Amino acid sequence: MLIGLCFFATACSTPPVPPELSQAQRLDEELRGIGVSFYAPQDLNRFERELRSAKDRIVAERAKFGWMRDYRPAAADLRKVLEEGDGLRLRIVSLKTSKTESFRARADALTERVAEIKRMTGYFNESAPVRMNLSQAEIKLAEADLLLKKEEYDAGSKDLAEGEFHLRAAEQAIADVLIRYRDRNEIAKWRTWAQETIEESRQRGTVVFLVSKIERKLTVYKAGAAIGSFDIGLGRYGLSDKLYAGDEATPEGKYRVIQKFPAGDFYKALLINYPNDDDRKAFAEARRKGLIPGQAGIGGAIEIHGGGKDSLTKGCVGLENKDMDRVYDYAREGTAVTIVGVVSIENTILAEIGKLDIHD
Amino acid sequence: MKGFKKHVVLVLAIAVVLAACKQPTEQINSAKAALESVMKAGADKYAVDEYKKLDADLKAALDEVAAQDKKFFKKFGTAKEMLAKVLTDADALKAALPAKIEAAKNLAIQLQGDARKGLDAAKALLDKAPKGKGTAKDLEALKGDLAGAETSFADIQKALDAQDYIAAQDKAKSVKDAAAKVAEQVQAAIDKVKGVKK
Repeated sequence: MLIGLCFFATACSTPPVPPELSQAQRLDEELRGIGVSFYAPQDLNRFERELRSAKDRIVAERAKFGWMRDYRPAAADLRKVLEEGDGLRLRIVSLKTSKTESFRARADALTERVAEIKRMTGYFNESAPVRMNLSQAEIKLAEADLLLKKEEYDAGSKDLAEGEFHLRAAEQAIADVLIRYRDRNEIAKWRTWAQETIEESRQRGTVVFLVSKIERKLTVYKAGAAIGSFDIGLGRYGLSDKLYAGDEATPEGKYRVIQKFPAGDFYKALLINYPNDDDRKAFAEARRKGLIPGQAGIGGAIEIHGGGKDSLTKGCVGLENKDMDRVYDYAREGTAVTIVGVVSIENTILAEIGKLDIHD
Repeated sequence: MKGFKKHVVLVLAIAVVLAACKQPTEQINSAKAALESVMKAGADKYAVDEYKKLDADLKAALDEVAAQDKKFFKKFGTAKEMLAKVLTDADALKAALPAKIEAAKNLAIQLQGDARKGLDAAKALLDKAPKGKGTAKDLEALKGDLAGAETSFADIQKALDAQDYIAAQDKAKSVKDAAAKVAEQVQAAIDKVKGVKK
């Protein structure tokens, strides 16, 4: 009877294993799950060592008779372990959040730059090499995004770096096309031509046409005042100065309308006197330097014509038919046509180009 | 003589008890080696969850060993069972791994094929797109986009050759998406012309 009572008392007074033990074990699993073994292996080792030591204390207590067991010191140890583990968890979560944020910020900045450059390719026809690099950059950024979702920051960073490499190549491809448009001497020359043409219009009271390649505009001046402006298209390599037949570039210089065609191949057309004396000089110089391929001639038949501003011409200036109707009506044989790269240094397109990280 | 026998029996009994209380070092080493071996075989890449579970099981077994080691009367029975299970599971995972890797490889090849089809479809669309008024410039730019995707396509094969099938899958998905984007824009350019014709 007495023995039975003792057993009963013993069983009743056996304290339960502290709940902190299972909490700490769950936390240990969670810490491993969030990659603490990768980000803070030493801290995880310390945490697990302390957890093991607390577990050992519990094991030691369990080896005692029920009424002799005292889990309180072990529970206190476990609370400390839990506190430390929680701190570690928060630290790793915050580290990963900050890694994700900085990764995301870098990826977003690159994506924005890709979009910006892509938009700029709309300004010129020679965009294929730029777009090729941009496309490669976009693919790398997409791969980086997939890796970010898997929290593979190192591999993702490598993809971001490769994306940036292609982005720089795209910027450099733009620089190759636009290098002349950042040259102050070229700009000064174009501005002088433009001023002289407008001055001629003002002094004689005549109509003149001023074509700005980068702005893709044909502006009509009468008596020195702008009376109309039309969107235009250029040759496939329209931003380059025409040098020889077949280069599909649009010439730059001071020209005159020499013939009007009411029904040409591309709607109405105004033939200009390309090549002029300057063009011939430039062609001869280029030939001497070996810059003219094969037996290519200097070319000709450069027109302002209809057929649409979005078409790629062989070097002519293309307009929408409705605009061509008006330009055609303004034109006379002898009307001055000045074609320049850019008129205003302050134009928005040049400002955007200036923002690019390109080197001449 | 009788006393001597008693001593011998006692010594033998202690030896048996001590032997039973010895850490299962060999099993621990085998389990660790098995885990290392499946990791090297690519389990951490191609069987991520199974590998994590195995790692956790080994850790639990080592915990049990450590806990018993601190006791005066050590019982490694449970720890041995746990270690044996880790070994069995690691072997099973290692045996299943080639199939998992093969599945990842097949998926990567399938995605590579999808990317190829996407590129070909975009190219066919570009070739038949009317290069007339309103589209020539856009199509020229899209050709550049497609050329970039085509160049990136080669990276898929490089990853496959390097037996990095997960990376190959990611690359194939990205190229396929890029090709689809080009096709979409070519279609928009075609629709633009159709709209103009109306």
